[in-house]
Amino acid sequence: MRPALSFALAQLRVTLRERETLFWFVLFPVLLFVLLVAIFGSLGQEGTIHFEVGFVNRDQAAGEAGLGRRIEGILEALSRPAQEGKEPLLHLHRPAGTENLDVFRAREEEAVRYGRHALLVVVPEGFSAGVLDALSSRPGVDPVKVQVFRRAGSSSSGFALLILKQVIAGVDQAVLASAGRFRPEEAVLAETTFLGSPAGTEVRYVDFLLPGLVLMAFFTAGLFGVPGAILFAREQRILRRYWVTPFSVPQFLAGFSVTHAIVCALQFTLLILVGRFALGAEVSFASPGAALFLVLASLTFLAFGFFVASLVQTGAAGMALANAINLPMTFLSGLYYQVGTLPGPLRVLLAVNPLSYLADGLRRVIGLQGAAAPLWLSVLVPILWIGFSLFVAGRRLSWDVGR
Amino acid sequence: MSTPFGRAFLGLVRAEARAFRRDRVSLFFTVVLPFLFIVVFGLVMGGGGEAVPVGYAGGSGSDGATLERVLRETEGIVPTRFPDAASLEAAIGEKKVGFGILWDGGRLRLLYEASRFQENSAFEELARGVVTRFDLARQGASPAVALDEIPLGNPAAARSFNEMVPGILAFSLLTAGLFAVSGHLTSMKARRTLDRLLTTPMPPLGLLLAVAVVRLAVALLASLVILILSQVLFRFEPTLDLGKFLALALAATVGMMGLGTGIALLVRRPQSAANVANIVSILMMFLSGVTIPVELLPPFLRAVSRGLPLTYVAQGMRHATGMEEMSAGRFWAIVLGCLGMALAAFPLLARYVVRPERR
Repeated sequence: MRPALSFALAQLRVTLRERETLFWFVLFPVLLFVLLVAIFGSLGQEGTIHFEVGFVNRDQAAGEAGLGRRIEGILEALSRPAQEGKEPLLHLHRPAGTENLDVFRAREEEAVRYGRHALLVVVPEGFSAGVLDALSSRPGVDPVKVQVFRRAGSSSSGFALLILKQVIAGVDQAVLASAGRFRPEEAVLAETTFLGSPAGTEVRYVDFLLPGLVLMAFFTAGLFGVPGAILFAREQRILRRYWVTPFSVPQFLAGFSVTHAIVCALQFTLLILVGRFALGAEVSFASPGAALFLVLASLTFLAFGFFVASLVQTGAAGMALANAINLPMTFLSGLYYQVGTLPGPLRVLLAVNPLSYLADGLRRVIGLQGAAAPLWLSVLVPILWIGFSLFVAGRRLSWDVGR
Repeated sequence: MSTPFGRAFLGLVRAEARAFRRDRVSLFFTVVLPFLFIVVFGLVMGGGGEAVPVGYAGGSGSDGATLERVLRETEGIVPTRFPDAASLEAAIGEKKVGFGILWDGGRLRLLYEASRFQENSAFEELARGVVTRFDLARQGASPAVALDEIPLGNPAAARSFNEMVPGILAFSLLTAGLFAVSGHLTSMKARRTLDRLLTTPMPPLGLLLAVAVVRLAVALLASLVILILSQVLFRFEPTLDLGKFLALALAATVGMMGLGTGIALLVRRPQSAANVANIVSILMMFLSGVTIPVELLPPFLRAVSRGLPLTYVAQGMRHATGMEEMSAGRFWAIVLGCLGMALAAFPLLARYVVRPERR
């Protein structure tokens, strides 16, 4: 056992001295963690999204009857920040006092077309009168329309439109209520429930991401670390030197596995510390189930690294293969975001990807999501991968050049 | 090219092409990564059907029928009926539906999967719309006010995948230029290949030009493959302005070489320079509107995005492929901006990077 531990210690020193390894295995997951939380942590939340909206009111009616003015008032309210220091939801662009409405409208239309503004809202002439006419006629006549110009394919136009629809729906209900066609007191009660979290609230992105990034870090340590260390050491004839000593392949493997486990522990500790103290993560890994999945993940990716190393002859080819595998496997496993309904070919990839099972199982045992697959499957698939990887590596991986 | 300089330059271009073929990192980031992006995003977003599957259950009486009718008439969703609350909740957990609506006779329960944070805010807006329409329909009222939506721009851009392809093309140009300097040239310097080349009559600018020619050719080839693949496999429908496309591709590749110069000047070790280039390209991929629309980023990241050249190159590429309208002045300003970056950086590159190493 002592030679294996000595080798593990030496291997660990080499790992910690290599800037590239330190960067990709330790620093990069932390950087990615911070970046993804900064981007997605508050995606779509008021105070973080902001839309430029043009508004033209051609409706002449004034006072209480002026519906154009009422819509403008609601949009004006949305142009004020909900909280001190936060960005308002909208910035409303309106024609200056004496500006020609047609000129303003053409300019705003161009701003939407060129993507500078999200929407242009035009309340047509005679809008309020038209609505009153509609209300005085029998129910079921076509509603009077507010024009809204949006840019095809623009996400900001799409989001702003959803908000505008709520504004118009609110005005519509108020108008119908004032005409006695809608009774707000009889409106249905709508209740929101988030399924799959113990508290019944939405899972925070930082909590969702933390286990995903821990697995990603373990995965890259196995996928790049194992082929990198073994194939380059074999090419440079470093392994050959070991084999002329009493040091055996099983001892090498034991020492190598200990180093891999220490690197994984280091990655885990660092990510937890950054998550907890810098990014406000609250998720806890202190449970036997979580420990089981972390150990299983570390072993799966260690074995997977041997599998990848056994498929190629040189270190450079190993790195190229690892790079090509890394992106589809990590993107299509739900590590960074929930993978919803995927088309056929990708569903197959998802079904055989050990990362997706480990992510699913780990998140489930730490109470972050409901059951997408049975828990036993989240354990069985990685174990099958370990067996398969070791079987292939045992048959194909050579421990010396030209042997 | 029949002069000795011309022949030497051609020889250098051939050698550079061979070196690129052997440089697996550059090859991966310039050719393989954009290709993988297209395949992955194409399969995920290329289907064209972006309506949200919505599950509903409960309410067998007239209210149930009203809910069913409202759901069927709501644009942007595909409703599916479930026999009971348990099967609806299971479908939400398995992500077979985006969200669920359960009518228990007195109230509507809107059910979301707790960890679908990237979609839940849009689902909630959709659900609010359904609740409003259900409310009116239940009381026998019909809307008096509605919206008349008028889309502007190329209708093909409405498919998210069509918007993304030009961004990936721009990303391919970024990596071609960036890794040419911060990976390749710094590596030549470290291996002393650069020193040997600089003892020949070939001026440093000739060497830089050979690198730029090879990277540009690779970037154009990669772009062509991406365009063909996107059209054949995923029905990408560009309205390509070839002149603008070529002008932007040329300017962006040499402009990004200028950006790589900045990295090469700050980070001298070739592997570290390649790592920094990697980080820069990943940051830009996330913050330049290539994968996530800039408008949806938080304010401080939106400000960062405005400072990133890839943001503008991606916009220019959307314009050159007909996916985004843009004034001619703005497009050419982007092209000139990229060329300006190259013009500002190349003298620095020739003076401080492409020079013999002091012993």
